[in-house]
Amino acid sequence: MLFLNPLLLWGLLAASIPIIIHLLNRRRHKTIHWAAMQFLLKATRESRGKKKLRHFLILACRTLGLAALIFAAARPIVSGLLGWGGGAIDVVVLVLDRSASMETKPGDGLNSRRQIVLEKVRDAMKNLGGARLVLIDSASGQPQDVPSPDVLTELASTAATDSSADFPSLLMRAAEFLAETPGRAEVWLASDLQTSNWQPENERWAAARATLANLPQKPAVRVLSLTGSTAPNASIRLLASRRVADELLVDLEVSRSADSQVAANLPLTTTVNGTRTTETLILPGQSLRFQKRLALPAGSESGSGWFSIPADGNPRDNAAFFAYGPARQTKSVIVAPIGESADYLALAAAPPGFGNQHTERIDPSQIASLSTAEVAAILWAAPLPTGAAADQLSRFISAGGQVICFPPGTPPAKPFLELNWGPPTPAEKDKYFILKDWNHNDGPLRDGIDGTPLPADRLKAIRRQIPVGDASQLARWEDGEALLTRRIVDRGTLWFLASTPDYTWSNLGDADILLPLVQRILALGAERFDASYLTSVGAEPTKTLPGETRSRLDDFGSPDPANDPYLAGIFKLNDRLLAVNRPPAEDTPEVLTREALDTALTGTGYTLLEQAGQASDPSLSRDVWRAFLIAVLCFFLAEAILCLPKKVSVQVLPTPLKAESLKADI
Amino acid sequence: MKYDFLDNPLLSRLGALPIEARVPMLGNVAGKHRSPHRGSSVEFAEYRKYVPGDDTRRLDWKAFARSDRFYIKEFEADTNLRAYFVVDASGSMKFAGRGEAKIQFARRIAASLSYLLVNQGDAAGLSICTDKLHMEVPPSRRAAHLDRLFSTLGALTPSGPTGLIEALHTIAEKVSQRAFVVVLSDLFTDPDALGDALQHLRYRKHDISVFHLLDPLEIGFEFDRPHRFVDLEDNTALVVEPNLIAEEYKAALRDFLTAVRAKCHDAAADYQLVLTDTPLEPLLREFLTARLPKSKH
Repeated sequence: MLFLNPLLLWGLLAASIPIIIHLLNRRRHKTIHWAAMQFLLKATRESRGKKKLRHFLILACRTLGLAALIFAAARPIVSGLLGWGGGAIDVVVLVLDRSASMETKPGDGLNSRRQIVLEKVRDAMKNLGGARLVLIDSASGQPQDVPSPDVLTELASTAATDSSADFPSLLMRAAEFLAETPGRAEVWLASDLQTSNWQPENERWAAARATLANLPQKPAVRVLSLTGSTAPNASIRLLASRRVADELLVDLEVSRSADSQVAANLPLTTTVNGTRTTETLILPGQSLRFQKRLALPAGSESGSGWFSIPADGNPRDNAAFFAYGPARQTKSVIVAPIGESADYLALAAAPPGFGNQHTERIDPSQIASLSTAEVAAILWAAPLPTGAAADQLSRFISAGGQVICFPPGTPPAKPFLELNWGPPTPAEKDKYFILKDWNHNDGPLRDGIDGTPLPADRLKAIRRQIPVGDASQLARWEDGEALLTRRIVDRGTLWFLASTPDYTWSNLGDADILLPLVQRILALGAERFDASYLTSVGAEPTKTLPGETRSRLDDFGSPDPANDPYLAGIFKLNDRLLAVNRPPAEDTPEVLTREALDTALTGTGYTLLEQAGQASDPSLSRDVWRAFLIAVLCFFLAEAILCLPKKVSVQVLPTPLKAESLKADI
Repeated sequence: MKYDFLDNPLLSRLGALPIEARVPMLGNVAGKHRSPHRGSSVEFAEYRKYVPGDDTRRLDWKAFARSDRFYIKEFEADTNLRAYFVVDASGSMKFAGRGEAKIQFARRIAASLSYLLVNQGDAAGLSICTDKLHMEVPPSRRAAHLDRLFSTLGALTPSGPTGLIEALHTIAEKVSQRAFVVVLSDLFTDPDALGDALQHLRYRKHDISVFHLLDPLEIGFEFDRPHRFVDLEDNTALVVEPNLIAEEYKAALRDFLTAVRAKCHDAAADYQLVLTDTPLEPLLREFLTARLPKSKH
């Protein structure tokens, strides 16, 4: 507890006035010579119990009443951070969440959560007097001394970023810092409790807790929760982008606050290489995924741009940046014997007249001499590779390539990457193997970006070969057996499809499924060539290599050069062109539950200060003089009640007797 | 006026009221009070059979004529009264709160009643008691004796603890003949011991009157600030906040008064609680009137 007018606390001496008066009164007695001493002594003996207690209670009420009055006048402040027992703190370690979600503006939408909490921490630190403030911001993760609470809001290391936060590591860093810093310390965690930032299941929490527990002086941990209602907000996110000849295909997602149910028009501004166009986007519901085709200037080798929506409740999620390089041919290889399957696969991999795609068929024996450096995907419709071919294919997958295997129709042989084929199985007579269900959100059979599902239910097979091994199933036959499985190996993926585009097997060649499936796998494989232009804040490619310099190419928003490593935008690192967006996790609205927070911080004895980011709560510190004034009233009321004269006893002293006539009986 | 405790006009007004004994007295000389013995007064008492040796002059011849038996006609004997005024001279009698000092009030009562007694031919004596001193002025009917009695009263200086109980026992032992014992005290002593002393007097068939003298302040106990109370008898001091103990004080006093009153009643003593701010005349007039035989009211 702190006081705005601490000098008035000298007035507490006045609380001793009733005691002084009491003692003076006892000394200022009048002397009287008294005859009826025996009754006086008896009365004094009998009045020691209740009467003295009552007397002392009255004295205590008067003293406490005056003390409370002085306290009220001194304007006591109870900080939600400091609590009643707060006071002599040597070090405050402020762990500040600077992630993009902290820029959400609560309530009236004037200041972001980050700004509000910084101001409150600043005020609380002023009340704390000379405590040392050390800032560990989520972007840099490095402890930094703050010379004065006044500059807290002006520091570059407290400014907005587009990064995410890693709270287990941040708390660990705080604990490590406190291990080297003696004194009474407190750790303040200012965050919007976004689950993706806190990762309550992360194993590093245990290490952080253990480090905190082993400190010589266990610090108090206070969580400044910045949850609660926010101003209306819309966000735009870039899902993927790829260049196809002179077009850039960009998959975008625009989302609105959860309470937005009616359709709304949203201006979408597209800036490509400095040319800006605006169109109106109609949001039918909470979110909209769509693909944007951008016609690139003829002969454009590389470029960049961004999509933006108007400023709203969170200015950090209103832009999605992209960059592109020279047009590349999407190359694929079909490893299959000559035949119907190979033909259909070639049509699906490079449809005539569609984009800049190229495919070639080779025999399995030729794989060893194949250069896979520019190959996006390999379509394998032959017995599983072995030996050197298997090694080369493994390397291709590890480097980010995509391989989809089709059943060879031969009995199972040696597995490839722990996956294998089951024996070929024909369908019962006059019956088909029918695709029953598949993953509509993930994998090559997912619904279109506009939500249109693939007509995969048309697939009918009379023969199949079930993939065997540890892989995730993305589509299943009617009897539950796997149709499509996926195994991720390093940066690439190995796919197994239980049928092949051959009419002796199925109608897969009808293109209802095969074409989108193959094209999507090709696109996935081609991303590794385009991916060098896209990344997210904090990812490895954003870090400058020795000798590299970073320069920002876009002028969206008001970027602070000091925070460039933590901001989204378009950057040039020497020859590298990078479009950096905020991490996708920052767009997830899930907030940590109290149980999850308890799990993460168990044993730290943390205090949760809820809704610290509410604009309506102007300060983390609360003026509590009213409480003291009420205490004054209570004390004086109690004193008045105790001073009330007791009910007059009905028994009265016997009146002087008149001369009694006693009959002489002698 | 030689003695400030004597009020002549008051004594003149009270002169018409006799002081009557409530029990038969045994005096040395003839007086106006009843005696337990048969005597020569005009008041018939009883007949009794003649026994040899009786004075034949007291034979009732008329009765002999009627019954042919000898009867002696007896008459009441009248005798004088001897009064002992027992004045408590302990330190507590010095107390003067709102009224005059208790000892002064005791002086006035003792002096007034002594005067009236001697004036009607009875004897008045004085017994002054402290814990160390038990001074007696023997009863006498002579008018000159009054002066000695008054001077003793006037010279009285209360001090020390009370010796009332011992004084009453002494009187009970020493005074063999029936007497009128008037106790003037605040009775600040043990009620049981007081009861025993009064019973002793009653056993000796004395007529007892108790004037219990208290100051109004001792009854009301009204103070507005802390006081240091110094005992008038042994000088012990006690600083208290009177308001805090007033209730307990009054309860203790009430218990004491009730006990004293009961002890007096048990000993057939005439008990009067007298506040020292009470006018003397109505007090004495009421006292004397109450002692008159009912036929004389």
